[in-house]
Amino acid sequence: MDFSFTEEQEMLRTMARDFLANECPKSKVRELDKDEKGYDPQMWRNMAELGWMGLVFPEEYGGTGASFVDLVALMEEMGRNIVPGPFFSTIALCALAILEFGTNEQKAKFLPQIAKGETIWTLASMEQTGSYETSEINLSARPDGDDYVLEGEKIFVSDAHVANYILVVARTGKGKAPQARITVFIVDAKSPALRIEIIPTMAGDRQFQVIFNKAKVSKNDILGAAGGGWEVVNFILQRAAVLKCAEISGACQAVLDMTSAYAKERVQFDRPIGSFQAVQQKLADMLIDIEAIQYLVYQAACGISEGEPSQLQISVAKAKASQAYEKICIDGITAHGAIGFTFDHDIGLYFRRVKAAEFAAGDVDLHRGKIAAELGL
Amino acid sequence: MDFKLSEKEKTLIAEIAKFAKKELPEDFVGTHLIDQEYRDFEFEISMSKKLAQNGWLVMSWPKEYGGQGASLTEQTVYEMEISYWGIPGAWMGISGTQWVGPCLMMFGTEEQKNKYLPLIASGERDGVWCTGYSEPNAGSDLANLQTRAVRDGDYYIINGQKVWTSKAQHSRWCWLLVRTDSTVAKKHRGLSLFIVDMKSPGVTVNPILNYYGRHHFNEVFFDNVRVPASNLVGEENRGWYHLMQALAFERRSVAPLAYGSSKRLLENLVKYVKETQRQGESLSQIPAIRHKLAEMAIDVEIVKLFAYQFTWRVSQGAIPAYESSRNKIMGDDVLRRMAISGAEILGVYSQVDPDSKWARLKGTIQGAYLGFPGAMIAAGTAEVERSIIAQFRLGLPKSY
Repeated sequence: MDFSFTEEQEMLRTMARDFLANECPKSKVRELDKDEKGYDPQMWRNMAELGWMGLVFPEEYGGTGASFVDLVALMEEMGRNIVPGPFFSTIALCALAILEFGTNEQKAKFLPQIAKGETIWTLASMEQTGSYETSEINLSARPDGDDYVLEGEKIFVSDAHVANYILVVARTGKGKAPQARITVFIVDAKSPALRIEIIPTMAGDRQFQVIFNKAKVSKNDILGAAGGGWEVVNFILQRAAVLKCAEISGACQAVLDMTSAYAKERVQFDRPIGSFQAVQQKLADMLIDIEAIQYLVYQAACGISEGEPSQLQISVAKAKASQAYEKICIDGITAHGAIGFTFDHDIGLYFRRVKAAEFAAGDVDLHRGKIAAELGL
Repeated sequence: MDFKLSEKEKTLIAEIAKFAKKELPEDFVGTHLIDQEYRDFEFEISMSKKLAQNGWLVMSWPKEYGGQGASLTEQTVYEMEISYWGIPGAWMGISGTQWVGPCLMMFGTEEQKNKYLPLIASGERDGVWCTGYSEPNAGSDLANLQTRAVRDGDYYIINGQKVWTSKAQHSRWCWLLVRTDSTVAKKHRGLSLFIVDMKSPGVTVNPILNYYGRHHFNEVFFDNVRVPASNLVGEENRGWYHLMQALAFERRSVAPLAYGSSKRLLENLVKYVKETQRQGESLSQIPAIRHKLAEMAIDVEIVKLFAYQFTWRVSQGAIPAYESSRNKIMGDDVLRRMAISGAEILGVYSQVDPDSKWARLKGTIQGAYLGFPGAMIAAGTAEVERSIIAQFRLGLPKSY
């Protein structure tokens, strides 16, 4: 057993923390909340120069060959600063899958671009029922010579407006099992056959409806096996769940830090409110939850790093992180009193992102269901 | 980061499973069946001896004191498995293997170590200890205790009363915290630790029954009890500080124990819902029940990781402070939620006594349900533990 980061991982964390403290203060987060793009291209390029996009890619694709746990350590820091932008969409939802399932041509073409910060990617999976279940995938991909023709619509596609490519989960036929005949396509996001409309959300993040109107995709742009897309999607959801947990872990830590600082300085009845047991109980529970999330995330990440992902560990981490993020924000706000309910206070920035974080890679109920299945129920 | 068990640790798990299947009666359910554990002390101590013979009872102690020099992780795995199988007798009373031994190794004289450690390690009745901390007016505010020890030549004369003393009725020795100086301004400065022979004249043990009628704890009276001065542990008037340093040992086993028993309870509940039908449908297909069991599985994973993380910290040479409180809170919460949700799943059958033909899961859920409030109070209330985290980890001002 070893619960510590390596020296390199500690350096990465420190570097990320320093960089983000400078480049992504809360004033920047607020500015980007209102920005049409939703991210800062200069910061994006700087992140690429630091090697963040290609962190886990092998050197031949412009990366540094770091481990999945390294990526978790980095994303914890990004979560702490609630960095706006398409990093999660590009890396967690797409790049890892290209690295795993891409052909040599696909990897050689796409991964170096991503590593350099030149292209932005996202995943289009969810449809009208708002579910991650395979039975709900109806967007059709009809073979047409050397091409497929995609028709249908996807919702809650993050960062679609700035994406260069979209991984689209489509149905290439009806099999007996709902996961049969699912295929993942690499689609040019700028194709005129795509129509993109924003879905306004409370997080101020960028999520879209994407309509595919007879979009032509070459069969060379299938990721993984034709008809074997569910394996790709499952791979993505497992890793994205853990990476989202890492972001949540950092975000929760930030909320605890600001709340405990406030509890020490805010005086009522001639004493800091942090001396009251009722306030202390809340803060102690926050700390316990945060440490729980951290160890659950590291455990699940190590399984992935070692090539033995455990669905139980992943789902336990995501269910717990989603629940705890909500509770920590609510307790943090109520500990602040009215000031915590104001636009100018940073704690609201975190609370407004709670639900989006929960829905990414599966909400609490979905993961409870997976846990139950893993228990043999 | 590394979360894998070593081959040695995996072997240990398999060996304990083999031991449990061989040595425990076929339908034995120790996990949370408080009834059996406390009614049959002879069986309990017979198991202590067998654990000692297998080299497990004090496995992480040095060989010279009867241990195996095993790692703390192995010790933790052992505790998890003991608790999973519900093997009684692992603690030598309530304190012997857990903190008396480790404290004596830290602060005891050579004479004390040579006399008491092998006794504990043997698994014999003469190695059974109770702990005398709480008093009627010293609970969470432990330093307020009033039992006094006054020097008299080569002896100390002890007078006063302890309460909630677990297993005093079976104990050969008492690990006793008393006041040796009443003149100091700060009350925790005048305290000392003693070893008291429970057979000494003037020691009286009275049972206190808990709310389900079991005799687990006692009140213990000390009426002019003469204790040799050589039974003082560590320095006179430094007892509080010795105690604080020893807390890490006292609470290290909380999370492994909670993990072992909660894992077993969860497995039993999963089996139960798969085998049980209601209105022609397996309970395992009812969403509300799946939801409850999934929540339990989350708790079980967390308490497991807390147990290992704590052990890892100690084996790195750290003296954990708030982590013991964190683990205590989490361990108690896991059992509380599991007892409550488990009782909901069993429905009307959850209220049935273990020996009845109507009992389900051999009454273990009833045992957990009746037992968890007591566990939440023992060795520090949830309220106090949370304040410790707030103060010592988050740096908030004192609340008391």
